[in-house]
Order: sequence, then structure tokens, then C-alpha cells
Amino acid sequence: MSASSPWSLDRSTRALLWKWGLVLLVPVLVYTFLWQGDSVVNAAFLGLANPNNSTYAVATPGNMVQALIFSALFYLLVTALSGYLLAVDSGRHSFAPVWVDVVLYAVVPILLIALTNDLVIGIALSAVAWGAYFLVRAIARRRFNRFPPAVAPADPPAPIANAELRRRAIFGSVSFGVVLALIWIVVDIVFYVSGVFPSLLLLTILLPVRTVLLVVGSYFMGHFAARVAQNFTVEAYARRNKRREAKGLKALRPQRAQLTPNDNPLRSSGARVIFMAALLAFVLLYPALDSFLFSYGTGGRLAGYGDAGYYVILALGLNIVVGFAGLLDLGYVAFFAIGAYAWAIVGSSQFGQLFNIFLSNSVASGLFWPMLLGAALLAAFFGVVLGLPTLRLRGDYLAIVTLGFGEIVPIVALNLRQITNGANGLVGVHSPGFFGLAWNVTTPVPYYYLILALIGFTIFAAIRLRDSRLGRAWVAIREDEIAAASSGINLRNTKLLAFGAGAFFSGFAGAYHGAKLGVISPDVFSYGDSIIFLAMVVIGGLGSIPGVIVGALAVYSLYVLILGQLDTMAAVPHTFMYNFHTTIIHIIPGFTFGNIRNLTFGVLLILIMIFRPEGLIPSARRKRELHENLDEQEPDVLGSLDVTFADPAFEAEVRVE
Amino acid sequence: MSYYLQFVIVGLASGSIYALIALGYTMVYGIIELINFAHGDIFMIGMMVAITFLDLLHVTDKNPPTGFALVGILAAAFLVAMLACAIVGVVTERIAYRPLRNANRLAPLISAIGVSLILEDLGKLWKGLNYISFPQIFPNVFYSIGGVQIAAVDLFAIVVAVVLMIGLQWFITYTRMGRAMRAVAQDREAAALMGVNVNQVISITFFVGAGLAGAASIIYGLKFGSTIYYIGFQLGLIAFTAAVLGGIGNLVGAMLGGLIIGLVQSFSVLIPDSLAPHSHGFGLPLGGAAWMLAIIFAILILILVFRPSGLLGQNVPDKV
Repeated sequence: MSASSPWSLDRSTRALLWKWGLVLLVPVLVYTFLWQGDSVVNAAFLGLANPNNSTYAVATPGNMVQALIFSALFYLLVTALSGYLLAVDSGRHSFAPVWVDVVLYAVVPILLIALTNDLVIGIALSAVAWGAYFLVRAIARRRFNRFPPAVAPADPPAPIANAELRRRAIFGSVSFGVVLALIWIVVDIVFYVSGVFPSLLLLTILLPVRTVLLVVGSYFMGHFAARVAQNFTVEAYARRNKRREAKGLKALRPQRAQLTPNDNPLRSSGARVIFMAALLAFVLLYPALDSFLFSYGTGGRLAGYGDAGYYVILALGLNIVVGFAGLLDLGYVAFFAIGAYAWAIVGSSQFGQLFNIFLSNSVASGLFWPMLLGAALLAAFFGVVLGLPTLRLRGDYLAIVTLGFGEIVPIVALNLRQITNGANGLVGVHSPGFFGLAWNVTTPVPYYYLILALIGFTIFAAIRLRDSRLGRAWVAIREDEIAAASSGINLRNTKLLAFGAGAFFSGFAGAYHGAKLGVISPDVFSYGDSIIFLAMVVIGGLGSIPGVIVGALAVYSLYVLILGQLDTMAAVPHTFMYNFHTTIIHIIPGFTFGNIRNLTFGVLLILIMIFRPEGLIPSARRKRELHENLDEQEPDVLGSLDVTFADPAFEAEVRVE
Repeated sequence: MSYYLQFVIVGLASGSIYALIALGYTMVYGIIELINFAHGDIFMIGMMVAITFLDLLHVTDKNPPTGFALVGILAAAFLVAMLACAIVGVVTERIAYRPLRNANRLAPLISAIGVSLILEDLGKLWKGLNYISFPQIFPNVFYSIGGVQIAAVDLFAIVVAVVLMIGLQWFITYTRMGRAMRAVAQDREAAALMGVNVNQVISITFFVGAGLAGAASIIYGLKFGSTIYYIGFQLGLIAFTAAVLGGIGNLVGAMLGGLIIGLVQSFSVLIPDSLAPHSHGFGLPLGGAAWMLAIIFAILILILVFRPSGLLGQNVPDKV
């Protein structure tokens, strides 16, 4: 590394620059020009610049500002990522896996979202694509008997000095920023020359602003990337551990994937920080972005995402019971129903009927917030109660008993007419509101943010639970109950806490669903729902929190959105779907896409169980567990017969007298 | 007293249906320790096959066959339904359960749920969303015994079930294949070492178990007269309760459990409605009939908590 000029770098670093520059440019260009990235910025800018012109002002000024903020954040974060990756890469591994990662996890989803013009369907189809890719890869590996090397290189890469990290990061970021700005300028000029440009304002004001922002911002983003990279070096961990020891805490032991420099920087912890920041910005600013990205139907979509949201919470809750603690619960819908009825009884006129206390509308609405906690606690209580008979049961029996509970609770709800109003259900359930200020029920945006907050809390709670002593106790009883009991874990309390914790989150989802839907009756809940929740957890990855979230979104979109869309498409005459549909109707009269929902589900479940039982995004532990029977990682080792004579293991066992 | 005899006969008749289905559950659990969630849906498929078969023969309620024609058609219906169910059972075992035989406990269970979903949708696609009627070809004859009206179809159900159960017991005890099945249920590896073809034995177990469900489906159709695509789930759950009640893995236990559950179901109608004026608050709201499923599950839970090995099973301690 020559120190003569701050911009001179050795050949290997330049090679890395090409590698990461190209790798990142592809998805960014796909997003910007193949999809809507460009038009988001243009539309928002034009709308703000021409507030009185109705062709441009497609959204409120607030939304446009949010869209511009998001775009700025997105591009700046990508430049930061570029700098980070250049700084941190140890240069020891080949390009190919990186390309596979980027194409699979970045390019394919963006293309699918653009193709289907729907976010959730696009992500769900990406999940399908990922599943197909893993399946083909597994089959190909078994067929050609080529497995990835199980052992990582023994020596860690040489450490990089902080100053060098900063140099590389800034270089990477600025190069990327400059290249991106140049490409954008070229594209804009091409559009202008071919006459497609909507307005000269764009060229004169937006273009310089954007270029300056990208170039200057990338310099500061380089610094930011360097700071992120420096946080994960060995020295940084040593410093952190010294401080922890001074406070009496345990020392952290980072894994290879967390350290700087790194063999696979796309999957390192620093990169994850940047990904999470981008994801957070996207999710928080989404209601504003939706009208730019997908034109019509924002309200309906946001309402649908609210629904998908409570499925995510349910999946996370069930993940605690089934994934962490290994207790197969097939009746989870019972706790969901209890949570929903809890809010429905308090938040509707039923409260007055039962307790003779009549609340005004605003008071009832304001009660939603304490009732969120109340419904969750009630559901947790019933979780413990329904878990009590199951303490001594093993997997299959536990499943059946919980299935029975899942059946009994709707029956109870149906028959206890005094409390739950029987089959007619409870109508007029209030939406949330602060005292005196009920939510405007015509827009789903407040519900979107509410469910985001709930999901955020649930994820945080789930992560903390998983990494706590209780979480480890759950893993222990999942693996081997008797060994866990012998190690001093109180089986009864741990299992009951698992049921209670899992049911707690379903109480949130239930109260939310009651408030959003406004009507709660026994036919809102059915046995099939429990199976869907279980399928979400299983398909996503048992015990893995990001897996379960993705699984929930995938299953929800498959179950609710995709097949419904196919039916709508099949109603339009003279299209492929329509012809396909009419041909099948001749053979099977009752065919609609909605009717085969469970069929596709069942096939999917069986395929996943046979080929990828650890789910889409497994936790690392689970993957090891589930494949230890199959010789996926190493060839069959028959024991000492397979060991050669000179091997120290063999020598240690055999003693020649 | 004779009033209650009616309930007993009706209970025994539906109990024999549950017993036949429970036998399927218990045989499969005994041999590969898997609760076959799809078993109830195999029962449903059997009924649909039978309905289609009888339709093809143009047998309807309007002109029921009599005499020898009736016997012949009933026998043919039994054969067709049992064969269809047996084939479905063997196919599902081959596709969905055999690849997972050495996997951890969760995988075949979820696979079974998947098969159940597939079969339910197949039923939905085949026969639609509404109730379908089964031709009521059994003569609507009532015998008067001791002042009580007993339906001939109930007696028929009991007789057929008893004959099949005796046949099964003979098969398990006195034939070579039965001995092989008992061996595989006891210790799979040792049986394999003794020269038993384990895969074949398991397939035959599924064949027989599902075949019995086919017989149950005909009896159900003759007695209750209608079916719908989701009937398998509830009936399957009730039959599973029966199997657990008798002791899972134990054939006589499954038969006994089925009969007991049938009697419980029949007598639960007698529980008064606590909301009705004449009951003075005693009983359950809306009467015993509305709570039948809940009562049966309560029995399941009580059995599993207090005597998990069932009535006829041995208390096997949990080995490390």
C-alpha cells in the first residue's frame, strides 16, 4: 500500500473496487431505471415545484417530501455500503458467491416487484424463487456429489489499520457516488435528447442538486462507512470487552462473520447495519412512497399490509412456542380469538350490556391502549391454562390436544351467548383513539403505523427472549427434555412460560384485528387458520426470527393475495388466464383458484418437509440439526475403519503392544 | 329403561363407525409412531368414491334395489370404497411419509397435515362446496324389540363392524403378515434383521387401515345420508380420541374406545339446556348437543393427562 498519494491504491484494492462497484451498480441501476427509482425522484420534485399544477401534484406535499427524503437516504446508504464493502473485503474469496447473493436477494425481488406491480406478491414470488433455487442447488449437489467445503480457512485475514480502512471506505464511496451521478446525468441527457423529458426544471435544478448531493454526500457516507467498519475490528471488540469487564459483564466473543476485515463482507454485521437502516427508512416512509411506486390503490394496499402485519405478529408468537420451545401447537387460533374477543367485549356495546357501565365513544376508543396490554395478558393467562394439561405430553399428543383446544374455543365462543353474543358476533367494535380524538377510519395509514410499532415491539421482545436464560432453557427442552430436567431446568415453568409468552403476542394481534375489522364473530376463526400460522412458521424457518417474518408474508400473500389475483385475472376474457381457466373447468367443474388454496398449501408443506425442513431462512442451529442425518456436508464416515493409519486420531485409539 | 336402550343402540352404531376409523389411526401409529392426520380425509374420499360409483350404477333413493340386487350392490360398494381408500392410503404413505421416516418427529406430522389439506381440496374440487347426499338404499326398516324402535341400518352397522374387527383380529393373530406387522410395531430394526420386508409391511398396514376407513365410510353414508368435503377432519379427530381412549397401538382398545365414544356422543344429547326454563339452570347452555365436540375433547384431555396409555394400554415408562 503506497502512501504517496491519498488516492493511490494497490492493484488488489483496485480489483476490489471493480468488483464491488459492479456488484452494487447492477441492483441500483435496476431499481433506478428499470423500476421506479428515477420517477419517484422526478415526480416528487415536480410535484413540489408545481404545487398548483394538478398533473404533477399526485400526492400531498408531506408525502412528496417523504419520498424525496427516502430517495436521498437510499442512494446515500448505497454509497456507504459501497465504501464499507471495499474497506472490509479481505479479498480472499471469489466473485461468484457474491454475484449469486446479489442477484438472488436484490435483483430478483426488485424485478419481481416491478413485474407484478405489487410489493407483497413480488416478495412472495421472490421467496418462491429462493425456494426453487435452493431446491435445484440441493438436487444438483446431490447429483454431482459436489458439496461446499465444510471447513473455513483456519487463519483469519490480516488486520487493516483504521486509517487504511478510512481511506478505502472514502475511496469506495466517492467512486461509487461519482459513477452513479455520471450515469444518471447521461441517462437524463439521453431522455432529454429523445424528447421524453417532462420538464426543463428537472434538468436545470434537479440534476445539479442531485449530482452535488451524491458526490458530496458520498464523501461523508465514506466516513460513516469507515466508522461502521472500525466498530467491528478486533481492537474495537477488545476495547468493548475491557469496558464490559469493568462493569462486571461477560466478554463478547465475535464470530468470523462479524469482524473486520471479512471474507464475506456482504453478510457481515457492518453490512447488516446498513441494510437495516435502509429497510427501516423504507418501512417507515412507505405510506408516502406507495402512491409513487405503485400508482393507484394505495389505501387498499395499506389496509392489506395491516392485515399481513398481524399475521407476522401471530407467526412470531407461534415461533416462540413451536420454534424456540419445540412444543407443537396446532390450536394457536384459540389465543388469537381470546385476544380479539377481549377487545371486542370492552370496546363495543357489549361492555354496557354485561356490566351496565355505558362508556362514551371517545372513552371506549381511548381504552384500546390499555386493552392492548389487557388482551395480551388475558391471552397469556389462557395460554398458561391451556398449557397445563399438556405438560407431560410428547410431540404428537401435544399437537392433538392443542388442536382440540383450537376447536373448543370457537365452540365456547359460539355457545356462551351471554358473553359473546353467539353466532351474531359483536359489531361496532371501536377503533383506537386518544381521548377525544378517534382515528379517521377512512384512511388505513394510522393502522399501518400501529401495526409497525407492534411488530417492532414483538421482534424486539422475541430477540430478547431468545437470547435470554429463558430462551436457552427453551432450546434445551426442545432438544432433550430429560437432559434439560437433569440440568436443573424446571420443565413445568419453562413450558408454561413458553405457552404464555407465545399467547401474549397473539393477544396484541387479536385486539388489533378486532379494532380494525370492527366485527368479531366465531366464524372469523377456524381450524384452518391454525394450520396457516403453523405453515408460516415452518415454511419461514422454525425458530428463526427473520425467517418467520418472511414466511408469514409469503404465506399470507399466497393465501390471500396471489390466488385471489389469479381469479381476478381469469375473469378477464381473451387472456391466457381466462383460456386456461375455461379449459380446466371442462375437466373439473368446481375449479377456481380460490378453491385450490389448501391444495397448493398442502403440496408446499410436503415439499418443504421433504427437501428443506429447516425452512426458507433457517437459524444456523436448526440447519445443523436437521441435516445431521443426511450426508450433506461430508462423506459417510463409517468410524475408525475409514481413518488412515497415520492419522493421529487412529493412533490415539490403537495401541500396538 | 327401554328409552335408554334406543340411545345405546344408536350410540353403538355410530361407535362402530368411529371404531373402524380409529383402527386405522391406531394401526398406523403402532407401526410408525405417526398420527396420520389425513386418515379422516381418506374416509371422506371413500365416501365420494362410493357416491360416484353408485351414481354410475344409477342407484338412487327413488328406485332402491331390493333382495339380492341390494346385497350385491352393497357388497360392490363396500369393495370399491375400501379399495379406493386403501389405494389412497398406500399412495400417501409412499409419497409423503416414507421419505421422512428417519427425520425428526415434526416433519411427518406436518407432512400429514399437508396431505390432509390436499385431500380436502380434492374433495372440494370433485364434489363442490355443498353437502352431497348419499343414496339411502338401505331399507328403512325398524325392528321393535322390547318396546323400542331399532333401525335396521344401526344393526347392520354394528354387525358389519364386528365382522370386520373379528376379521382383522384373526389377520393380525394368525397370519404370517399379521405376525410381521406385530414384529415391526414392536421393534423395527429387529424385525428387519429377522427378514421382514419393513417397507412392504408398512404399506400393507396403511392398506388395511385405510380399507377399514372405506368400510366405515359406506356405513356412515347409509346411516347419515350426506357428506361434505370437510367431514373428514371432525370425524377423524373424534376417532383419534377413541383410539387414544382405548390405548393407542392397541387394536382391541381402538374398538372399545370407538364404541365408548359413540355411546358418549349419543348420550350427550340428554344433557339439558341450562338456558331453557324447564331445566332450572342445570346442564350446559344450548344443551348437550351443541357441546358434543367439546365434551369429546375434554375426554381426550382427561385421558391424556391422567392415563395416557389409555384404557387397555400398558403404562410404558419414559426411557432415557
